[in-house]
Amino acid sequence: MDIKIPYNEDLRPDTGLYNAKLGIWLFLASEVMLFGGLFSSYILLRAGASVWPPIGLDGQSVAHLLEETIGLATFNTVALITSSVTMVMSWVSLKMKDILKFKMYMWITISCAIIFLVVKYFEYSHKIHEGFIPAHDTYMALYFTMTGLHVLHIIGGLFVLVYFVMPNGIKMWDDEPIRFTNRIEVFGLYWHFVDLVWIFLFPVLYLLN
Amino acid sequence: MISDNISKQVIKYWKIFALLLFCTVLTVLAVYVDFDVEGSIAGGIFVGLTIAVFKGYLVAYNFMHLNDEKPMIYWIILVTLVFFLILLFIPVMWESTLVGKY
Amino acid sequence: MSNKEHHEESFWTKYVFSIDHKVIGIQYGITALFFLLIGFSLMMVMRWQLAYPDTAIPVVGPFIKWLATLNGFASEGNLPSDLYNVFGAMHGTIMIFLGVVPLIVGAFGNYLVPLQVGAPDMAFPKLNMASYWSYLPGGIIMIISFFLPGGAANSGWTAYPPLSDIATQGQTWWLVAMIFLITSSLLGSVNIIVTVVQLRVKGLTWMKLPFFVWSQLVTSFLLLLAFPPLEVAAIFQLMDRIAGTSFFLPSGLVVSGEMLQVSGGGSPLLWQHLFWFLAHPEVYVLILPGMGVIAEVIANNTRKPLWGYKSLVYSSFFLGFMSFTVWAHHMFLTGMGQGMSTFFQITTMIISVPSVIILSCFMLSLWGGSIRFNVPMLFALGWIPMFGVGGLTGLPLGLSTSDIHLHDTYYVIGHFHYVVAPGTIFALFSGIYFWFPKVTGKMLDETLGKIHFFASFVFMNGVFFPMFIQGLAGVSRRLADGGASYAHAADVLKWNETMSYSAWLLGLAQIPFIVNLIWTLYKDKDSKANANPWNATTIEWTDATSPPLGHGNFKKTPVVYNGPYEYSVPGMKDDFLPQTKKMKKGK
Repeated sequence: MDIKIPYNEDLRPDTGLYNAKLGIWLFLASEVMLFGGLFSSYILLRAGASVWPPIGLDGQSVAHLLEETIGLATFNTVALITSSVTMVMSWVSLKMKDILKFKMYMWITISCAIIFLVVKYFEYSHKIHEGFIPAHDTYMALYFTMTGLHVLHIIGGLFVLVYFVMPNGIKMWDDEPIRFTNRIEVFGLYWHFVDLVWIFLFPVLYLLN
Repeated sequence: MISDNISKQVIKYWKIFALLLFCTVLTVLAVYVDFDVEGSIAGGIFVGLTIAVFKGYLVAYNFMHLNDEKPMIYWIILVTLVFFLILLFIPVMWESTLVGKY
Repeated sequence: MSNKEHHEESFWTKYVFSIDHKVIGIQYGITALFFLLIGFSLMMVMRWQLAYPDTAIPVVGPFIKWLATLNGFASEGNLPSDLYNVFGAMHGTIMIFLGVVPLIVGAFGNYLVPLQVGAPDMAFPKLNMASYWSYLPGGIIMIISFFLPGGAANSGWTAYPPLSDIATQGQTWWLVAMIFLITSSLLGSVNIIVTVVQLRVKGLTWMKLPFFVWSQLVTSFLLLLAFPPLEVAAIFQLMDRIAGTSFFLPSGLVVSGEMLQVSGGGSPLLWQHLFWFLAHPEVYVLILPGMGVIAEVIANNTRKPLWGYKSLVYSSFFLGFMSFTVWAHHMFLTGMGQGMSTFFQITTMIISVPSVIILSCFMLSLWGGSIRFNVPMLFALGWIPMFGVGGLTGLPLGLSTSDIHLHDTYYVIGHFHYVVAPGTIFALFSGIYFWFPKVTGKMLDETLGKIHFFASFVFMNGVFFPMFIQGLAGVSRRLADGGASYAHAADVLKWNETMSYSAWLLGLAQIPFIVNLIWTLYKDKDSKANANPWNATTIEWTDATSPPLGHGNFKKTPVVYNGPYEYSVPGMKDDFLPQTKKMKKGK
């Protein structure tokens, strides 16, 4: 279709925005409410519990296991924060018209995301192996649901990251560099948000027990 | 020139990165310090969340360029935050106003 | 910009996977009308059971027997109570999530907003297509769930745990379908907001926007920010049902005499908070765009500007904002403390103010107008008192003392149906008759339309007014026998028959409408038909052809000079001044 939608690339004078920038912030607003619902539920369920993490039907609590995994979770936090700064550097590289630097930073971002997922996989399997499945108690239920939803967001972002470094996704840089730069900026906003969520998930789930 | 401006920004981004890493270390260390205040559920939780809010602010303000965004975006964020806070706190405040606990 | 050649579109890209907002709007419209019909039919069957409990249903009895058997319930052509519960839960779900909202936002919003702001399409056409194609699978999943063992969801559209946590498999399908529908809604709301903010044409400043656009804008914000907590709740309930978690299951829950083997520690109230956090703003989603339609129709058919345009706009902001602060008035009977109760009563009373302002503005707009009593206007005029009744009957529900008596009775059902049925649905009918010539280039028949209106108006009241009587007597909602087994309901049971006959006659009253639609579509286009048969002022009427262009919307990008309701401007020859017409001196 060749209908030209205004302000896809250039900025609308009175708002100072291009369409996708407004669109992504609106999407992020809804994501704030999504994770807000999750955190609100955490607060409610924790406030109603006499002991936290609760003791399951098998008489065990995951508290001791959690302490062991603080190191892993901290490592993951560092990985995501790194991916956040490399993501913004990818965008900066495009602003400086350096496509090679762009690719380099994107690949570091992708690697950090994969590392995060791998570590998460080990965390999950370790907990499940010890019998700490979501059904074990409300803390485990919240842990798996909240981090699981976050993981889904990382996986979704990973698909987009890979698309942008593959030939099909990157070829827009040749014809429409500004549009491509904007796309990276918009995705970067999403990616930073995912990092931001983890910045809160990490202390709430791992450290405040 | 644009490139001067950008290289300044680049230095800032790496500085923020270092600050974020430092705060992360602080958050973890804070777990091992006993902050608990008598008769309050705050203490450790308050410290942890304050650091988290600060880190979040660093990411939002700098990486997400909220330091010089447009008013329209600020308004959307403000309205969202108001509803977010309502969602976060009203359900749990429920408990505190009960006449008798069941 | 690269020069793309206009390529031939296949049937699939033109009519099925179109990214044109007009095609998508029509897709939403047709799909939603079908779902409305299904939801309405469910209710007509339920009303037989309520009027003549446990008797075989005429005409559709064999089908009900077949369905009940498929679900594993016993039936001799009657509606067994298990199936009654299914029908009740699905009637609400289908009407709200598959019918009304997709119609007023997905169909009307998608079709009209770009036209009314002068845009060539929505800001994100592909996202628009994705939103329709999330809606349809969600709807199909809901319908398929009827034919499973155990039937479709049966724990009410409100799906309260613990019951919904342990309900039959239909509930799981309901939850999955809701995730599709919420996704669709999210994509659509982002699109509408960006379109209104970014794509308004030159001269179309905020305070020159038609109120319809404002109503869609506020509605989209409500959808954007209120739906995610329900998504969280749906995920939690899915986890409870599939992964055995206890988000909503308290400790020590006993089911059928046995302790449930779950971890416990959950909170049924948590579901209620998350659900109503969405569901209250949702009711404003149901009414606001309807108010937008009424505004357009009234201004056009009184031939004068709307009274209090600014009040309308600011009231809709305030209404939207307050809608996030009242949700627990649905939970007054859950044991909340004084503080909470006071807070939510106050906010609920406050929120009635902007609604009253909006209603008053519409009423005041009639004063001194040259009223044209065409079919859209009849529906709009009917809307006014009906919404008034709906709104007023909400007041005793919003005060917790009276709510103690009225909660979960037929009074509630009467209240919300008045706002949605002769409320929103009348607004929808008004809008369909009004904009039909723009979409198709043909006018719907006035006579059939008038029959449709008068019959619907009478029978809507016949169905819903007695509900207040029954509710005040204490008849609970969701009773498969309509209250027959309760002594306190004895005196008011007789209303069941009245309501049921009114419901079936209401169904018959829709036949002229359906016939009108089909007949007009098949008629040849009147060669004398013009693109602005109502002599309206807004951009979709004055700058777009009827139907609008297949590709893009306007031959020339419009420029706006005037407000949206410049009717009967002093000194002008015509009694309307299009938004895009530059007024010359002495004209």
